[in-house]
Amino acid sequence: MASDEILRIHLQELRRGTVVVASLVALRHPDYGYALLQRLTEHGFPVDANTLYPLLRRLEEQGLLTSEWNTEESRPRKFYRTSAEGESTLTRLLDDLAAVQTSMTALIQGVKR
Amino acid sequence: MTSLTERYVAATLRTVPAPRREEIAAELRGSIADMIDDRTAAGEDATAAEREVLTELGDPTQLAARYADRRLQLIGPTYYLAWWRLLKLLLSFVPALVGVIVGLVDATDGSAPAGAIGTGVGAAIQTAVQIGFWVTLVFALLERTNTKLDLPAWTVDQLPHDRPDRQITLTDAAASIGFLVLVIAYVPLQHFRSFVPARDGDGNLPILDPALWSFWLPFLMVVLVATLGLELAKYRVGRWTLPLVVTNAVLDLAFAIPVIFLVHNDRLLNPELVARFDWLSQPDNLDTVATVTVVGTVVITLWNIADSIVKLRRAAA
Repeated sequence: MASDEILRIHLQELRRGTVVVASLVALRHPDYGYALLQRLTEHGFPVDANTLYPLLRRLEEQGLLTSEWNTEESRPRKFYRTSAEGESTLTRLLDDLAAVQTSMTALIQGVKR
Repeated sequence: MTSLTERYVAATLRTVPAPRREEIAAELRGSIADMIDDRTAAGEDATAAEREVLTELGDPTQLAARYADRRLQLIGPTYYLAWWRLLKLLLSFVPALVGVIVGLVDATDGSAPAGAIGTGVGAAIQTAVQIGFWVTLVFALLERTNTKLDLPAWTVDQLPHDRPDRQITLTDAAASIGFLVLVIAYVPLQHFRSFVPARDGDGNLPILDPALWSFWLPFLMVVLVATLGLELAKYRVGRWTLPLVVTNAVLDLAFAIPVIFLVHNDRLLNPELVARFDWLSQPDNLDTVATVTVVGTVVITLWNIADSIVKLRRAAA
């Protein structure tokens, strides 16, 4: 077994892109930063606040998310939602994720141990 | 709104581009408040919760860099190799060249040799520092501005032709050749400009006995020039071979034996120079200098020959 540090780095590499996919899926239902962070964590996508907040802004700038300020509650919050463009990008990303899983399964079965 | 959070938001916004500042501030304040509320709802003290949340968000400059999509590195992978190669190329010869030129100019202006060498070394170091600074600055700016460098892509044709296990590197060869050139140049130079004034205050005392010009000094210079040729041949081959080892030994001995012979018979140094210095003119002291020189020459010569033999065996292995 490799050291914890090596394992941590590889897991981080493996997880890196999944935060974007998970956010695009989760934001089919509009939400604000911290609530999204909690939802992702609950569903097994732990992400640091200082990664997620800037990421949401970046996805918005890329047109994959739209946003709207909600001022009805006690404090104004910025709600994000996956845009049409985000949805089509997400479809491609999910297809690719499935393809990775399929290939990996085939590879695992094909390799004699 | 507490002051710690305000300070954090202000510190984050300082380096975020202006048009987005207000919105990011409002959102960040809200997010921080949400995170604090979540902790106080779980029974945590408000002040402690605030500290904890801000600690979790981390260095505001780093957070700002993420908002602005700015890279936290001086020179990234896109430019690193170009920077490193250019730096190595320039540092490999420019400081040495500048140092030699400045030193020579200083020497011809008549300052003492030690002073001229010092000036040359100082100029070389300054040049190296300047090159390092400016090259790095330019590449750091390219990195910041995301400038496209249309450098040709790497191709297999750029692979070095040399054997990868080359023994004689370009640096070694260049250092040896540079040293030999200086020594060869010094033999005639010391005759005309030794920087040791004669007793009467002017003129110039050669360091080596001028009588040796009839045969031995030209002979030694020829040996040195031949050694220079050997260095070139050695670099071309890239490793020690038997003919190179033999030639090296012959040339080493052709230089060392006459030097030892001349030193031993007190014929190498200019007698007038010896007489000029009280300490040197005492026979005991002159003998000490002679002994040290002889032993030094023997050790260096034997070391050099032994080294070439060891490397020959290693190359054959």
